[in-house]
Amino acid sequence: MRLTLRALISHGRVARKMGLGPESRINMLRNLLTGLVRHERIETTTARADEVRFYAEKLVDYAKRGDTDEKAMKMASFWLTEKDLVPKLFNVLAPRFETHSKGYTRMARLPNRDNLDRAKMAVLEYKGNPFPPLYPVKKDNELTLINQLLRGYREDRAQQLATKA
Amino acid sequence: MATRSACRALERRFASAAAAAAAARPSAAEVRSQRNAVFSREQARQRALYPRIEKIEVSMQGPGLDGTLLVMNRGMSTPLSCARHLTEYHVNNSVLALVDGEPWPLHQPLTDSCSMTLLTFKDSDPTLANQAYWRSCAALLGQVLQTAFKDDYTVELLSTPEVPVTSGAFCCDVALDPQLDSWTPSEESLRSLTKGAQQLIHKDLPWEPLEVAPSVALEVFSHSRCKQEEVEEKAAQHPKGRVTLYRCGDHVLLSAGPLVGRTGLCSQYEVTALHSLRQGPWGLHRRAQGLSLPLQLQAHHTVWRKLRQRAEKLVEVSRLEEAAPPSPPDSTPPPTSQ
Repeated sequence: MRLTLRALISHGRVARKMGLGPESRINMLRNLLTGLVRHERIETTTARADEVRFYAEKLVDYAKRGDTDEKAMKMASFWLTEKDLVPKLFNVLAPRFETHSKGYTRMARLPNRDNLDRAKMAVLEYKGNPFPPLYPVKKDNELTLINQLLRGYREDRAQQLATKA
Repeated sequence: MATRSACRALERRFASAAAAAAAARPSAAEVRSQRNAVFSREQARQRALYPRIEKIEVSMQGPGLDGTLLVMNRGMSTPLSCARHLTEYHVNNSVLALVDGEPWPLHQPLTDSCSMTLLTFKDSDPTLANQAYWRSCAALLGQVLQTAFKDDYTVELLSTPEVPVTSGAFCCDVALDPQLDSWTPSEESLRSLTKGAQQLIHKDLPWEPLEVAPSVALEVFSHSRCKQEEVEEKAAQHPKGRVTLYRCGDHVLLSAGPLVGRTGLCSQYEVTALHSLRQGPWGLHRRAQGLSLPLQLQAHHTVWRKLRQRAEKLVEVSRLEEAAPPSPPDSTPPPTSQ
């Protein structure tokens, strides 16, 4: 065989290698996906979160077909190792994302892991989860002078429009 | 012949009467200097009550300051001097002090050991600071109006109504000379009033508070019957029967509540309108309105323009003592008890 450097240099190769091999990679992603469906927000390394994101969204797309669909049920039962999550997927997550066409997950960076490896961590969540938001919205204090003046202004305008209408 | 001499006698009598009247009514500058003199005298007398320095303990409350104990002088140290012991941020940004839960002007000397909080405009609950700021802006407007007109015209400052901040503008009620009854201010005159206010702001004058007995206050306002009535009203409302006077530059005024520390705290200040209200006992009552924002809360010019447009509308003040919500301007008649 040709002893080229093509095999050793990985410029432009987008597919990641995880774990011990392709089968190990799929098993790892399956575990992560099960955890995500159960808890709706998980913390892993950035690379793994990024990989799982694709599969998480595809799974929701399959779930939207409904549990009567043969293929959707097979996919769900393959990807979710804990079988009590299959009804949760079809009855909770699929209706939640009915109006969304894509973008069911959100990923945010975390500080590096405290271990010796200092790995790059990320948090992955399904949107609409019951936890407090990842990016908290800082509300301006309603009682400052300028906000009170603006409130008065808004009420005034509303009244004017009401009397005009 | 007899009639001519009689006419001349009458003329002389009327002339002397007019001259006597003109001489009896002192000029504005004389009134101001007299009030200033009485104020300084009373201030010096109150300071002389503490000949020896006695120490008091002031414990500070607030974010990052809890439990800080400052040892200050009785009758000499003010909340501002406590702030000076802390940081420049506290000096520049504190608006009012809360001494044992009571609103306390920044320049009023402390008399007892207490616990103190410095209030700013950016606290979680700046209502007291906002109200004090609104009152101070109204007081500034009163000062500008007092000094704006020529000496031939008298200006009577009536009691400034307590307006909530949401109504959009602070008001100062004033009764001008009867000669000016038909005068409505043009944009140029409003702008010149604004300029006068901006000059005062630029000078960064402190508002010095002084708690006095009603007799001293009546002496200060001896030339103005309207102010004397106001003094009596305020003395009746106060639990101890004392009246608080404030001095800014050389203008002495009366106020319903605490004012902020210095005029330099305001940054955007504009006199927006001068409306005529009904005829009252002191002449035609007029309401001067203005809009202002402090140094720490400046508005973008688009926002400022919108707020200013609203501030030109007349602000109705309900005469009821309860904190009624601001009645909408122009649409309903004010429920006055007059």
